[in-house]
Amino acid sequence: MMQTVVSVSLTLWLALAFPSGADAATVITGIVRTESGQPLPGLALLEKGELHNNRWDHGTLVDASGRFRMELAEGGQYGLHVYSSGYIYKPNAVKVETGKTLDLEVVLVPEPTRANDPVIKRVEFVPSETRKGMATIIKMEVADPNGDLGPQVLAFNAATGRTFAMTPPRWVWSLKSNYPDGVYQLEVDTSKAPADPRAWRFVVADHKCNTTDVLSFPHEPKPSQVIRP
Amino acid sequence: MVIGSIALVLIAVVTVGQAQAGSSAGSLAELVAEGEQSWRSSPDPRDPVACATCHHDPDETRGWAASFPKYRPLPPPEGRVMTLLQANAEAVRRHYGLADPERAALAITAYLTSRDSGVPVFPGIVAGQPVFEGRLRALARSVRRGERLYARQCRSCHDGGGVAPAALLFPRAVNGQVESLEGFLGRHRPDLPSLGWDAQPTADLVAFLMSRLAGRQMGGSP
Repeated sequence: MMQTVVSVSLTLWLALAFPSGADAATVITGIVRTESGQPLPGLALLEKGELHNNRWDHGTLVDASGRFRMELAEGGQYGLHVYSSGYIYKPNAVKVETGKTLDLEVVLVPEPTRANDPVIKRVEFVPSETRKGMATIIKMEVADPNGDLGPQVLAFNAATGRTFAMTPPRWVWSLKSNYPDGVYQLEVDTSKAPADPRAWRFVVADHKCNTTDVLSFPHEPKPSQVIRP
Repeated sequence: MVIGSIALVLIAVVTVGQAQAGSSAGSLAELVAEGEQSWRSSPDPRDPVACATCHHDPDETRGWAASFPKYRPLPPPEGRVMTLLQANAEAVRRHYGLADPERAALAITAYLTSRDSGVPVFPGIVAGQPVFEGRLRALARSVRRGERLYARQCRSCHDGGGVAPAALLFPRAVNGQVESLEGFLGRHRPDLPSLGWDAQPTADLVAFLMSRLAGRQMGGSP
């Protein structure tokens, strides 16, 4: 009798401690570095489905050692975009199997000039009352020196791990169109919890991959620098 | 009378333009060297980002030419199956700001193709990179469209797709003129409207031809 109880307990413990493959997490991990191997901090943001479809989904911070980890609800095809201030962002189509971990190495190269980069002029968080309840409208003013801004006007909430494409100031014909300068907006539901500006990061890229610095709290844009390799 | 003369001149200009599209003077070696130059440096002094700035690892680009035509994931609705020339044209138009990207795209195509000599042709697939089912389905649809186009426009002279191996000879130089497969196909039937080197039907036709060559080595004799 005692033996049976011990055996059942052991089986249960093993099942809980080592879940089967079907229950294992679906994860994308990686390291971001320069060509010379120096780790780079920044953002890793995901589109769900085909690369460049602008259906933004998860995201995560890339830490100072260049590492990131994202746990996903399901496997499949994703568009992984990695950003680091002063570097050309890297888009990558990836496929991760459900219950598996995809481990990646991402190498970024410095932008040779920052003169063509889009510019984030200001960010503000404006409390608002909408038909659905309390909300915060995030407003970000963006300008592009070459007028070839793309749909990647992105806001990332590190507290929830969600990425959002912000709404342009006027209707845009297609994702390949040049997006306008102006104030982009994102409405955040704050009926259950207030928006914490400290959690938010912003980044903008144009159609030629010219990219702003990753803007963190307190969201005060600084002149961008060219990084010498 | 004046209108008739203008119309005649216009017809002549358009005809000459079509005859020259897709071919220009030079040897293949010169074209490859020009392509390498275009790959490594941008012609736009204000924006020095070149192909090689991001695609700096030669191993990364090995196998690219052999994997075309394939689905290029551009922002919707622009994503479609493209030939290597068409994909290069899209890239240099966007990144290099070239209004007429054909020559630069042809040169880069020649350069990348030269680097893939001996690599087996596998449209839609690059060794060591993930395979995406949706992209392969798009390619399969392109191949089917290309097969129908081949049946309508080519089969009467070239039965059963037997000319497909000739596609591996492009880009090529003939009589001091370099030309792309896409340009050649556009001019090959002067009795029909040109497909357009940058158009989807051309990509479809090339996709059909290349689908018959899967496993053959790039740069091999036809």
